[in-house]
Amino acid sequence: MSFLSDIKDYPWTSLLAGILPSRIAARLPERFQAPSSQIVPPASVAGRALTVVIAIMTFLACLTAGGVYMVHQSASAWVDDIASEITIELNPLNTADVEKKMTLVALFLAKQPGVTRVTPMSADDSAKLLEPWLGSTAALSALPVPRLIAVEIDRSNPPDMKVIESALNQNFEGVTLDDHRRWQSEIKTITRSTALGGIVVLGLVAAATVAVIISATRSAMATNRGIIEVLHFVGANDRFISSEFERHFLGLGVRAGLAGALAAAVTFLLLPFLLHLLGGGAVTEAETRRLLGTGELDIWGYLLLVVIVVVVAALCTITSRLGVFRVLKSYA
Amino acid sequence: MIRFDNVGLRYGSGPEILRDVTFHVHPGSFHFLTGPSGAGKTSLLRLLFMSLRPSRGLIFVFGENLADLPPAGRAALRRRIGIVFQDFRLLDHMTTWENVALPLRVMGQTESDYADDVTDLLHWVGLGNRIHAYPETLSGGEKQRAAIARAVIGRPELLLADEPTGNVDPAIGNRLLRLFVELNRLGTSVIIATHDYALMDQLEAPRLMLHEGQLQVGASQIGVR
Repeated sequence: MSFLSDIKDYPWTSLLAGILPSRIAARLPERFQAPSSQIVPPASVAGRALTVVIAIMTFLACLTAGGVYMVHQSASAWVDDIASEITIELNPLNTADVEKKMTLVALFLAKQPGVTRVTPMSADDSAKLLEPWLGSTAALSALPVPRLIAVEIDRSNPPDMKVIESALNQNFEGVTLDDHRRWQSEIKTITRSTALGGIVVLGLVAAATVAVIISATRSAMATNRGIIEVLHFVGANDRFISSEFERHFLGLGVRAGLAGALAAAVTFLLLPFLLHLLGGGAVTEAETRRLLGTGELDIWGYLLLVVIVVVVAALCTITSRLGVFRVLKSYA
Repeated sequence: MIRFDNVGLRYGSGPEILRDVTFHVHPGSFHFLTGPSGAGKTSLLRLLFMSLRPSRGLIFVFGENLADLPPAGRAALRRRIGIVFQDFRLLDHMTTWENVALPLRVMGQTESDYADDVTDLLHWVGLGNRIHAYPETLSGGEKQRAAIARAVIGRPELLLADEPTGNVDPAIGNRLLRLFVELNRLGTSVIIATHDYALMDQLEAPRLMLHEGQLQVGASQIGVR
């Protein structure tokens, strides 16, 4: 509740002045200036170095959370996509007329219950799929590239894969069915691993932020020891003293959090271009795009960055409060 | 109002600074606390103000046994006491007006409620033209008056002053004494720690004399048992 009262009491109109460089902030209208009569001087609590550290922490947290979100979205879309599709692979070796066999297999599949669409892929289309790994399509024409037939299935009434596979094996030689289950399982494993890694990174960033704030709180209290004594002498209780420090750390968290999240948002906006610039070649770029999708964050992804700013501000405020109370207890 | 029963104080494992101090201060009284340098005047004031705990004995402030009092209760009692430090303890980054208003701000009052009171008091102590000045630009006497204004703005029931005339010339010292007397007349109990005998001779008030850590009550014993 007192965190909420801190939010209510915070001089939000002065937030802009806190973010901008002091020379520019000094030119803002008076109502946007920080109150001059703050009992604990802001500069003695949150110096520029501390603000930069928290901003970097927020930036890293936002990049991690945004990246994990992107991977999750991309993987979900991919799993959704491949779950409604199976692929038939036709080995061109030992097949006299591949095109005829492709047509026959496609016709056979189109008759199966639960199959909604059959799309035989041309030799060029199949070769293009390998292009990122093996180079230009012209060089692939000499290779026995397997031919593929994409089969869309009705997810509400899926066909019996075992029956189709068995029928294909009986009627056509060199034809295999891939229902993508292995891929789905691998994608889910990768998504889970990425999410777990992201949580670990977020945990480390949060722990580092807490450690920095604890250290900064102790330092701020040591710097302002004289002010704390005077506050005690004029009858201030620990809650009052704590709120004077908390307010600064709340402002620090919001300022630094916004700066870090803004930098992360700009990074995400530029990510599609960065993927191309830093792709490191066609294969790496293709793999990265498979992992991250288009590299664009949707509205929910950007909202996630806002949530991180709120969490950072809360972390700064609550940690500083606990730190102040601990130090005040040691004074008593 | 204040009662000390066989109070002793030592810092760490050192010798006792105060020994078997027993006295009783009544509401509306005026006392000088005197003794040579190092006799323990400041330590006694710090005990009165709850910034030190006694090594032994009992202290009752406004009827509360300090030994049983939680920190929050101590803060509430301090709001009923005003204190003037020898070194003023004004906050350098705040104006004179803001320094004086600090106790009311701590009490949770809004600025619109106390603005006129603070300004009036600053005029009363002769700092009407120094309202917006920062402490570093004030003279010793002005700082002392600002510290006194801060101590009395919350209308304390007890005012403690540690060598309030130690940093000012005799003329300002006399003026400050008149200020304390006026406050006492308005109902505030006053204890002034000083070794300025010229100052004490100006007023018929009981003297609490500290000598080698023990308290003796002076000839004039009005309000002291």
